[in-house]
Amino acid sequence: MTIAGAGGQAGSCRGTRPVIEVRHLTKRYGPVLAVDDLSFTVAAGQVTGFLGPNGSGKSTTMRMIVGLDAPTAGQVTVDGRGYGQLRFPLRAVGALLDAGAVHPGRTARDHLAWLAASNEIPRARVDEVLGIVGLAGAARRRAGDLSLGMGQRLGIAAALLGDPPVLIFDEPINGLDPEGILWVRKLLQSLAAEGRTVLVSSHLMSEMALTADHLIIIGRGRLLATGTVAEFIERSEGHHVHAQSPDAGPLLALLRQQGATVTADGPEGLSVTGMESRDVGIIAARAGLTLYELTTQRASLEDAFMELTREHGEYRAATPTTAGIAA
Amino acid sequence: MSQTLAPVRGTAGPPAGLSRVFTAAVRSEWIKLRTVRSTIWALVLTIVFTISLGAIFTAIEVSRWDTRSLSEVKGFDPLLYSFAGLNLAQLSIGVLGVLVMTSEYSTRTIKLTFGATPQRTLLLAAKVATFSAVVAAVGLASCFAAFWVGQALLAPKHAGLSIADPGVLRAVIGGAVHLVLIGAIAVALGAAIRRTAGAVAVLFAVLLVIPGLVTLLPAPWNDDITRYLPNSAGAAMSAVARFPNLLTPLGGLIVLCAYTAATLTLAAFALTRRDA
Repeated sequence: MTIAGAGGQAGSCRGTRPVIEVRHLTKRYGPVLAVDDLSFTVAAGQVTGFLGPNGSGKSTTMRMIVGLDAPTAGQVTVDGRGYGQLRFPLRAVGALLDAGAVHPGRTARDHLAWLAASNEIPRARVDEVLGIVGLAGAARRRAGDLSLGMGQRLGIAAALLGDPPVLIFDEPINGLDPEGILWVRKLLQSLAAEGRTVLVSSHLMSEMALTADHLIIIGRGRLLATGTVAEFIERSEGHHVHAQSPDAGPLLALLRQQGATVTADGPEGLSVTGMESRDVGIIAARAGLTLYELTTQRASLEDAFMELTREHGEYRAATPTTAGIAA
Repeated sequence: MSQTLAPVRGTAGPPAGLSRVFTAAVRSEWIKLRTVRSTIWALVLTIVFTISLGAIFTAIEVSRWDTRSLSEVKGFDPLLYSFAGLNLAQLSIGVLGVLVMTSEYSTRTIKLTFGATPQRTLLLAAKVATFSAVVAAVGLASCFAAFWVGQALLAPKHAGLSIADPGVLRAVIGGAVHLVLIGAIAVALGAAIRRTAGAVAVLFAVLLVIPGLVTLLPAPWNDDITRYLPNSAGAAMSAVARFPNLLTPLGGLIVLCAYTAATLTLAAFALTRRDA
């Protein structure tokens, strides 16, 4: 696990050869700094999760990888080359950036047909990928008539069209039902198992924990952390004890005396770290203080993610009570 | 449901030349054009209107044949009435040309298009080439049909022209070239402006509003300026008689080509400089 310092040093990746290389990438839209001196690499043969709160610069970074937006500074290469230098790039990099980017009047098959023709991809591949994503029966339906989930599958089909060794997915599970989410998870993992490079963005830590092998976490356009999912889970295994007592005041003082770190959590609630629930109970009983709730709360991955990105979300609710969400 | 894919192939295959990229982009653009119903309908209507408006205006002229003034008779261009529909056709072709680019922005497919063909100037060239080929086919069909229908209506008055008469074949083909170049200008406007409403407004201002305003200017400014406006330059190519407010056919071609080249250069600049 590497937590980025102020310098924003490059994130490490597992021994394998870096395929996507992002170096000191910066993107400014007028006064907004969407991506700020971001550096990381993405390796082949594993699913790399690209995590960050909404508005943290994930999509902008992905747009720069595929050459849609020009970086203000820095550079990004795929297999050592800029995307703009690629001939027939769909055969090298498949991307799902915006599943809604379809002409509503065109059928699913025609939508893929023009994409295939633009990169000299055989026409037969169109029906093949429609089969892979489970849209064979909807080939003749107009893209505008597809459900959100089917549209998402069509976008994934477009990414797979060129059978590319590098795949980039921006929030691929948006709009999918649980079965669809499971399918995407398996698909991403099987693509990586075939030796492909898979970069997938999400704002959901829990989903990435199930899908990804490696994580790149950003906030406000800056690199916050990189590392394997296992390392991240290990790091987030902290926990605290929650106590409810009508005598919260005296109990707080008593627990602090015994060396615990205690903060008030509501009028009668206490949040205790550095002490097991058993000890909290014993201390309260010996002092004759009433307890009506005593629970150990394990920090979830989501908590760890929230903690890491707390200062880096563009929009936050007025009262970010992370414990409530995690419980 | 989760079939596995074929093993990973080598990256990008053999290096492709830019001419192959262009050819592939043209194939792709052709599929885009013919798989949207509105395009097909707009093109069919363009042919129908061009032919029928020419027939209607020629028939009106035939009906008042013996009551025309001397100056009307002197300046009579039998093709002018046959090609009355070109005024409308240039607008429908123009709107279609704008949509070739702006519909990609409104549906956001431009991201996929540039993702598939990052050589943006080449892509613009492919779009213009494909659309121009379609407009050339539609334009030639419309102009030849309008010519024959119009001249058949004029035949009883012995005023009809033969395709073999001097300048006639050039004028009929000139009508189609007029549509092709207006179409290319429209694609360029769509690329530079991106929004359908804005690009169509500029197109209509150039083709309809400005010519109307210029006629209000005092002579000789009105004719001197009118000659060099895109629609007049186009009309010069499809006229057989000479009009004081029109250039020669070759002059018209050169002027309209210059407008096309200028707007396409602007479009290429806009596409390559701006984020998609």
